[in-house]
Amino acid sequence: MTQPLLQLRGISKSFPGVRALDNISFDVLPGEVHALLGENGAGKSTLIKIIAGVYRPDAGEILLDGSPVHFSDPGQAQAKGIAAIYQELSLYPELTVAENIFMGHAPRGRFGAIDWTAMNQQARDILASLEIDGLDVTRKVGALTVGNRQRVEIAKALSQNARILIMDEPTAALTETDVQSLFNTVRLLRGRGVGIIYISHRLQEVFILADRVSVLRDGHYVGTRLVSETTEDSLVSMMVGRTIDDMFPKLPTTIKEPVLEVRNLWRKPLIKDVSMQVRAGEIVGLAGLVGSGRSELAQVIFGMTPPDGGQILIDGKPVQIKNPGQAMKLGIAYVPEDRGLQGLIRQMKIRENISLAVLRALVRGPFIDNRAERNLATRMIEQLSIRAYSPEQIVNKLSGGNQQKVVVSKWLAGRPRVLIMDEPTRGVDVGAKAEIHRLISQLAQQGLAILMISSELPEVLGMSDRILVMRGGRIVAEYSREEANQELVVTAMMSETDHNRTPKSQPAVETNTV
Amino acid sequence: MVASEKSVPSVPSAPRLRDRILNREVVLFIILILVALVLSTQSDQFLKLDNILNQGRLLTEVALVALPMTLIIITGGIDLSVGSILGLTAVMIWYVWQKLGWPLEIAIVLALLTAAICGFVNGLFIVRVGVPPLIMTLATLALYRGMALGISQARQARGFPDWFYQLGQGEVLGLPSQLWIVIVATILTGIILARTPFGRSIYAIGNNELGARFSGIPVDLYKLIIYTFSGFMSGLAGYIFVSRVSTTRSDMGTGLELDVIAAVVLGGTSINGGVGNIAGTAIGLILIQLLKNGLALSGFLGDATIVVVGSVLILAVLVNNFVQWRRGES
Amino acid sequence: MTATTPPAIATTPNAMNSWFRAIRRMLATQEGVLALSLVGLTIIVSAINPRFLAPENLSDIFQFNAYIAVAAIGMSMVIISGNIDISVGPLISALAILCGTVATSGFPVWVAWIVPLIVGVLVGVFNGIVVAYLRIPAIVLTLGLHSVIRGLLVILAGSKVISDLPPDFGLAQLTPLGIPMPIYFMVVLTIIAAIWMRYSARARAIYAVGGNAEAARLSGINVQRTIVFTFMINGLMVGISSVLLATQFSQIQATPPPGLELFIITAAVVGGVSILGGTGTVIGATLAAILMSAIRVAMILINVSPFWLQAVTGVLILVTVLADILRRRRQSRSIRA
Repeated sequence: MTQPLLQLRGISKSFPGVRALDNISFDVLPGEVHALLGENGAGKSTLIKIIAGVYRPDAGEILLDGSPVHFSDPGQAQAKGIAAIYQELSLYPELTVAENIFMGHAPRGRFGAIDWTAMNQQARDILASLEIDGLDVTRKVGALTVGNRQRVEIAKALSQNARILIMDEPTAALTETDVQSLFNTVRLLRGRGVGIIYISHRLQEVFILADRVSVLRDGHYVGTRLVSETTEDSLVSMMVGRTIDDMFPKLPTTIKEPVLEVRNLWRKPLIKDVSMQVRAGEIVGLAGLVGSGRSELAQVIFGMTPPDGGQILIDGKPVQIKNPGQAMKLGIAYVPEDRGLQGLIRQMKIRENISLAVLRALVRGPFIDNRAERNLATRMIEQLSIRAYSPEQIVNKLSGGNQQKVVVSKWLAGRPRVLIMDEPTRGVDVGAKAEIHRLISQLAQQGLAILMISSELPEVLGMSDRILVMRGGRIVAEYSREEANQELVVTAMMSETDHNRTPKSQPAVETNTV
Repeated sequence: MVASEKSVPSVPSAPRLRDRILNREVVLFIILILVALVLSTQSDQFLKLDNILNQGRLLTEVALVALPMTLIIITGGIDLSVGSILGLTAVMIWYVWQKLGWPLEIAIVLALLTAAICGFVNGLFIVRVGVPPLIMTLATLALYRGMALGISQARQARGFPDWFYQLGQGEVLGLPSQLWIVIVATILTGIILARTPFGRSIYAIGNNELGARFSGIPVDLYKLIIYTFSGFMSGLAGYIFVSRVSTTRSDMGTGLELDVIAAVVLGGTSINGGVGNIAGTAIGLILIQLLKNGLALSGFLGDATIVVVGSVLILAVLVNNFVQWRRGES
Repeated sequence: MTATTPPAIATTPNAMNSWFRAIRRMLATQEGVLALSLVGLTIIVSAINPRFLAPENLSDIFQFNAYIAVAAIGMSMVIISGNIDISVGPLISALAILCGTVATSGFPVWVAWIVPLIVGVLVGVFNGIVVAYLRIPAIVLTLGLHSVIRGLLVILAGSKVISDLPPDFGLAQLTPLGIPMPIYFMVVLTIIAAIWMRYSARARAIYAVGGNAEAARLSGINVQRTIVFTFMINGLMVGISSVLLATQFSQIQATPPPGLELFIITAAVVGGVSILGGTGTVIGATLAAILMSAIRVAMILINVSPFWLQAVTGVLILVTVLADILRRRRQSRSIRA
């Protein structure tokens, strides 16, 4: 039995009002990829921050190579070889790649002065050892692509001889080529004996990359499995405590005429000649990897960004959508991907958030009609089973699932005809997930045209009447509910060879090969 | 971030009664009364009606500009150019009336228009180009003041007709004329901020601008409006000021931004945005004016007051930060 | 920044080619732009009015405004760290008065020269602590301080002028090797600062804090201490600047030159220090300070009213900031490709 690099025993951590971690045990072996799974709020983020020295545990001990350690700041953890790469990359856009890699521990020359030549050379060496070439270490990081910036982060970790590397949702913002490249890098590091803690919501990645997987749920440690000896279903039930069967109640609906249609829509660089339509009562699932252009497409339809070319039609008539206000007038609503930053005003109350998009309709004269506003909020809270003590509660204190329901309420308040939902159940606990799915089904039954962007294939497959797959800014495949399955969709999402079929809903327009 | 770590919480309690009663405006008001009491014992001139009305006259310029400044700071911005716009307005009155020889009424209108345009330009660059408000208005503080200096070449206007002084030195129904304008403007702005969709949107923008955009709020338009409003009010303040002191000078309004921002911050508006209201600003204005009055009555020079106002600004921000920290906001 | 090679034109002599290439490379850096502008300005203005090159004007540009360049060094660091200080104008005057007061109170002149440095450092540390630990935005703190110091200056010194200065007080009036002392200060301090900013880990931490404070914290950099340190250096530079100002003439005025802090900030910004933080060099700031002083003198000599100088200052800040913002936007757009 190899000695674990890192051991956590009985770790607990509380914040005011919340017990984030309770008696966690966890270990990492050298040369392993250890995936960490759990829903948002399960405690993964807190756990890795404790390991990285950002937080201090209230109880329990951390053992590095068998000896106990205490970190009072991230610098100490880094000095012991623990490096973390978070979702919000920690880089200095105006400084060079080399300086970013070595900030805080640059090689020194005479008189303690920074040795720029040595720094640049060592930076090149590290990148070479990661089999990354073509990256100029004297370029400013701000000019790099996201994939390259992440490579700089990894190089940064290595520059401090990281023996434990924590990666938090590393593929969230990467293009597919970058994802493959990342996987290679991870395997390379594993081969060198680095212990990698890998957090991802994408179960497929766990099965592709990890050796072991541990699951947290609501701050508790549930268990650890060998990846080779477990299944997706088993992991999911560990994460949620129930099986996934009752997750997708899809109600029967009559599908009518197209409400939203998009023809030859262009917006450089992420939308290339997209044509599609969504009919009343229909749920169209839009699958694709991050960077395929889905959210960008939604934001063009919603008027947040203008298209370079092409048409948008509502009820068959071409329309101009220059800003969200115009989109809303046409009955288009967009539940955004990032609920904290884009969907909600977190410091405001539930009532104020729900009314935000329809304020102009809730007026008496020039003033806000308080009673109408309160009625709207109460109605929505009831309709969507939002768990809160009153509409006056500040949204920030709600759980992810309830916050998402507030965002959805906000958009339902305007009685839209087209509802675009971007990752509607991301970071939502399974109970709320099922409720949101049920709601989407009901809305379709009521005649809304729903475009559902999702990275969770079970959700896409389970909910949609039709599935469109986007890759590289184009729609490359279309499948009906009956013919779709996971392999087809994933292949279309990721494969470089051309698997497209002319989507049925398009008029005879040539889809170009990638 | 901690927020993502909360599992479904037990129901947090409603705000405690004590916190609701002891809110910012009430505390300020109590301080206001206390200061007034202290000052009334220091000098018997203090409570004379003449003095009070005169103080009302004196705080007009700062008050008018503090109204849009409250809105601007709530959205997380700032406007440092208000003093320079005031000065430029004064110079424009001189220029159009005495240099170009046009009727005084036209000069006033054009000057006010110039002020609004100055504010509009601020807003335009902030919104379209993305220049941070601090830097933009720092640059226009120099630019507009420079224009005032350059256009006037240090010449001044004199000899206004009698009707011109009505606004700055006259009275209506027993109150100084300009005070009526202040009262009406304050009430209107307060109502708009607290009770209309526009006002709610201002708070939304201050708390989460991106979220506001995604909610369909015309953020750019509203920002343009408030910066133009700020320019216009600075111009209006300039007009009233000229009317009060009977001359135009290119250095008028120097340091106005200090008085205005101090009043707004003292009134509880957070410099980080998202929090604040007109009632607080009004109390802050009166409180600062009282302090100035007290100093003047005790024989301190006019210049000494900027020491006090500067200190008040720093202390007020410290207190605001402390209060926000206690409330657990990061 | 891609280097473009000029087309090989067989008829153009090689010397010309290499000149063009050199100029184009210079234009790619802010410092190069400034140096070229300075040369260009000199050529144009002295063509209109050859008195521009007269010794008294040249010394005006370099010698009498060197104290501004010194202050710009400290201001650059503050701005790079992501903050700002608009109280330096009154502070420089106040420290100059302090300098003169100490000198006329019977202390040896070297004491009078050192005291402003110490007080400047103390004020800087105070500012740094308030901004870093008490989380007061620098703009608000220094806005308040500006008024407090200016008001105190008026109350305590009025419009007094200190004129009975001891004979060996005039540090800035010395001319070792025929070159006025302020120029030594300016050049030496700029060079030391430039080297330090490039090669010291402490200094690079300032860039880190200004570029991404959270990342700096995670890199193990003590953000608060870095900010205090930055303001402390600014205080030191302000102190040195005030001594240069105090010892320049035979009297010291109690009224601060109006708009001084704005001039200094503009020098830093035009010098390439991005007001958004995280980048810039002190050499650029010094060059910009000289350039702006040159513009001021030039304006007088070509009969443009000096009243327009502040407008020029405003335009300069705007143009520089616009260019900076547009450049950053172009950069980030190229990422998504």
